[in-house]
Amino acid sequence: MNIDEIFDFTSFTIDREPHIVLDPQVCVNCDNRGCTNSCPARCYTWSEEEKKMTFVHDGCLECGTCYVVCHRNAFTRWRYPRGGFGVAYRMT
Amino acid sequence: MSSAYSFDAIVVGAGPAGSSAALTMARAGLKVALVERGTFPGEKNMFGGVLHRLPSLEEVFPDFWERAPLERHIVKKGVTFMTGDSTFSTTIEAGNFDRPPYNGYTIFRPRFDRWLAEEAVKAGATLITRATVDELVIRNGQVAGVTILDRRGELTAPVVVAADGVLSFTAKKAGLRQPTFDPGQMAVGVKALIDMPREMIDDRFGLVRDQGFANEFVGGTGGVRGGGFLYTNYDSLSIGLVFHLGSLRTSGKTPYDLLNAFMEQPQVDKMIRGGRLQEYSAHVIPEGGYAMIPELVGDGIIVAGDAAALCNATGLNLEGINLASHSGVLAGKAVIAAHQAGDFSRRGLQVYRQLMDDSYVIKDLKLYRKAPHMLHNDRIYNEYPELVCGMMEYIYRIDGAPKENLSKLFLKTAREKVGLKNLAADAFSAWRAL
Repeated sequence: MNIDEIFDFTSFTIDREPHIVLDPQVCVNCDNRGCTNSCPARCYTWSEEEKKMTFVHDGCLECGTCYVVCHRNAFTRWRYPRGGFGVAYRMT
Repeated sequence: MSSAYSFDAIVVGAGPAGSSAALTMARAGLKVALVERGTFPGEKNMFGGVLHRLPSLEEVFPDFWERAPLERHIVKKGVTFMTGDSTFSTTIEAGNFDRPPYNGYTIFRPRFDRWLAEEAVKAGATLITRATVDELVIRNGQVAGVTILDRRGELTAPVVVAADGVLSFTAKKAGLRQPTFDPGQMAVGVKALIDMPREMIDDRFGLVRDQGFANEFVGGTGGVRGGGFLYTNYDSLSIGLVFHLGSLRTSGKTPYDLLNAFMEQPQVDKMIRGGRLQEYSAHVIPEGGYAMIPELVGDGIIVAGDAAALCNATGLNLEGINLASHSGVLAGKAVIAAHQAGDFSRRGLQVYRQLMDDSYVIKDLKLYRKAPHMLHNDRIYNEYPELVCGMMEYIYRIDGAPKENLSKLFLKTAREKVGLKNLAADAFSAWRAL
């Protein structure tokens, strides 16, 4: 299976307002950045050239992994999406 | 909401814990609000896939099993040790598992949770969907309600049941759970749902009628501490991996690449071949056991289900929904008692703590309190599958060389793969933990 396909099968009602907000400055000084590999939805990308962490909330599965693995408390906001928004499982 | 809506109790989260609590309280005539952030209950929930028996709900609900939307009942349980290109499996298929009362079923959370919440509504609870709880309302030092994100006004009640899942921000805001989590006490599960014709599943796994198969895997997680699972639904398979977050974080590996590699492993590939990917999901699991349980009761608040870290993962059995549902029923009973006594303080709600301590939920978690520590042993996920597979391969391989005595062979393989000291220590730790 092409692994990129796996992300295409889950439905979302995307909220324009992100439910998770990062302070990317904290990530610059992080020695671990376990969020980049641990996030099951690959929402976190670290660019070594730009020394910059990017977080995209669109495909977030609201699983809680980043909330647990981030040991720098890089979040200025970590809550669930507003009612009715976010991931929408049908059969899981 | 324009202003304040008042109830006898507010339940945050319409999962198995929340709906069981709401059902219990509504049956007793309390005015209950069941608050859910999804567009319907179960929309946000995922799990591996087996629902065990729910004795407490069966009490409230004698025809539970006839009415609930279930998939196959589990008659066959297996464990597979996996090393990359070899597997060794054991299965048990018991006649008893094929007769009611069945021991467990596969289910879909978006169906099951929705149905259970609707049963609570039938009993009189008010279900409020698309409502993400924001803040706790505190009056005179006691929790007295909640506010909803992006909506004006508040919901008020003398008691709130926090059943808002593993991260429980409700319990955090009430100061009942630890402010941050230890990745060593948490796991993440990732799952692919694979569409497959019913007859193909029956033939492939040796099933008839509505029989189901549940298999756990040891190894196959790319060296990350964790395990795999495969469960049969009527016409789909649930397949996935669970990783300890402490181990995953430092591994540099991603859950979806590991899941992909697991599904491509030749023996697993044969099980899912011909199927079509339908949905991918992930969720964190509280696996810290007894040591992780937060304060269960505060002034005006009770914690139940995943929010209270009620999850039993010993490596052999994986329990969660049954514990959640049981705690929900007990939370409901405690609230009913608090209404009778008119006392919603920490002391007045303490009856919940007592009911829990006397129940199998806390007793089992206490009994297996050493299991989480034992499972934090990398040898289980690397060396032991190799030991088992290597030995079985040797036993079955016929190449003209004379056979060795089996116990000698075991010790020889164990010495190579694990080390005898480690073997003795691990066996002792497993014995004490289980």
